[in-house]
Amino acid sequence: MNNPQYRQRAIQYREELSDDYFILWIWDEALGAAGRPGQFYEIRALASLKNASNVNKIPKLFKPISIYDNQGGRIGFMIKKVGEGTIALSKLRAGDMLELIGPAGNGFPIYRGKRILLISGGIGYPPMWYLQKELINHNQLYWMHGGAKQGDIFPCDEIWTDDGSIGRKGRVCDGMAANISKNEIDIVYSCGPLPMLAEASRITNELEIEHYCSLESYMACGIGVCHGCAVPIGSKEAWDYKRVCKEGPVFKAEEVRWELF
Amino acid sequence: MGAVLTELWKKRPNASEHLRTQLGRLEMKTPLSVASGTFDLENLEFFDSACLGAFVCKTITREPKLGNPQPRLYESEAGLINSIGLQNPGLDAFIAEKLPIYRERLHLPLIVSFSGSSIDEFEEMLERLEQCPGINGYEINISCPNVENEGIAFGVSPDIVHSLVLRLSKLTKRELCVKLSPNVTDIAAIAQAAEAGGASSLALINSVWGMAIDHATGKSRIRKGIAGYTGIGIKPIALALTYKTARSVDIPILAMGGIYTWRDALEFIWAGASAISIGTANFVNPLAAPELIMGLGEYLLEHDLKLKDIIGKVSF
Repeated sequence: MNNPQYRQRAIQYREELSDDYFILWIWDEALGAAGRPGQFYEIRALASLKNASNVNKIPKLFKPISIYDNQGGRIGFMIKKVGEGTIALSKLRAGDMLELIGPAGNGFPIYRGKRILLISGGIGYPPMWYLQKELINHNQLYWMHGGAKQGDIFPCDEIWTDDGSIGRKGRVCDGMAANISKNEIDIVYSCGPLPMLAEASRITNELEIEHYCSLESYMACGIGVCHGCAVPIGSKEAWDYKRVCKEGPVFKAEEVRWELF
Repeated sequence: MGAVLTELWKKRPNASEHLRTQLGRLEMKTPLSVASGTFDLENLEFFDSACLGAFVCKTITREPKLGNPQPRLYESEAGLINSIGLQNPGLDAFIAEKLPIYRERLHLPLIVSFSGSSIDEFEEMLERLEQCPGINGYEINISCPNVENEGIAFGVSPDIVHSLVLRLSKLTKRELCVKLSPNVTDIAAIAQAAEAGGASSLALINSVWGMAIDHATGKSRIRKGIAGYTGIGIKPIALALTYKTARSVDIPILAMGGIYTWRDALEFIWAGASAISIGTANFVNPLAAPELIMGLGEYLLEHDLKLKDIIGKVSF
């Protein structure tokens, strides 16, 4: 299964988290076996063009959602309500049908015997959950997670909130350099909003720490065809637009040309 | 999803007879093609390519093109706004890397879409491609900025279109399809110029100018501002231009612009299209192509119509 596949699958179970967050679980052993941490699916509530003579019934684009959990064919998508597409997903219940295209993208490289820092912000949390499950038996992990408020916080080792409602007050990257030196970190993995990733990248560049970040981008196809999601990747002198859906979503942080966004 | 199509053929062994069409020098088993830049081999993971009559690759240019900065996409109220900027690896890389893969894996007539920044460059690219086997035709993309005409797009001047196509048509016996922009005063004049120059078919429409702004912040949704608008919202525009063009030339038309379903396809065929392409529909529905051909095939069989017999037969 090298290229993303198209499937229609029933939602097995729906899990409520805080106000804006929920998890949809599906079951597919073949897709499950193919998926890796850091990969994603394009998903959507099942829609049909059969009624497309009515413009209200014309489906919208799929939404790229990273894999939150993937074990023995049970695949979870942790989703935050942010726009029309994710609000439509939030209305689904167990038994409703999902359309999926995936697993897509490259995924995180998996190491053994390292001291690893995971750093996530807001809806950057889900791919880290799957990643830590793969890493935890063979590495020493420390996980920092930040959000705007308490509702954006999920289980981790160190919490930061913008409003100070839980954990430390401030941005999650504020505590990053201290943690890297205290825990003698070898490798950093990150996922979150672009400014957070750019700041995390600046810190790891300065400390010369290996850093893999997962980027988000607006997509039309999710399979490498439309080039709508391409971001500037490479050295300062020689960079190119690489597709988040195909060459990404995981890139070496030092190769992301943050200044060109 | 190849099964869907095999089913149609099994149920209706004479479906091919009803769906067959001709685009200039190109025989097509079905009237369905794909719009440049919206479909590639990855899509053929989702269904069997037998429902397609031809494949059009993403437009290539002589030199590699980086493309435009983010954001490049925005889904509008009805359709998609894009500003990719013709990102492509250039002609050399296309010939060396992409073409052999198409030859091996694509069991469809291959139409190579390309664009140049001057008539000489178009000519040079065609000469190179003519030496490559496994190409059935060309889509000449003339909606690019023109250095020979003070930055005005090639596609807006009938005289330039005529000179360009005249030079190119002398060089090839393959299908020569000229892709027209809707962003012109009189598409019929451009179409006639391409026909007089020796084009064997026309593809229309390319994307319509479009823009989107975040009302709350005043920020453009697309970095470059004005972008290309495609999908369902441009269907009435594309249909009118197909009708207008079909009335003014004798060469066949490959129509596109907001075609999502077999019903849309039929509208364009009645308006004068010999074949149709789906573009944005590929993003909205990964199975749009087989569903379209299935529906179109069943309609034609049910009404005992051959596609070739209803082209341009719109009534009032």
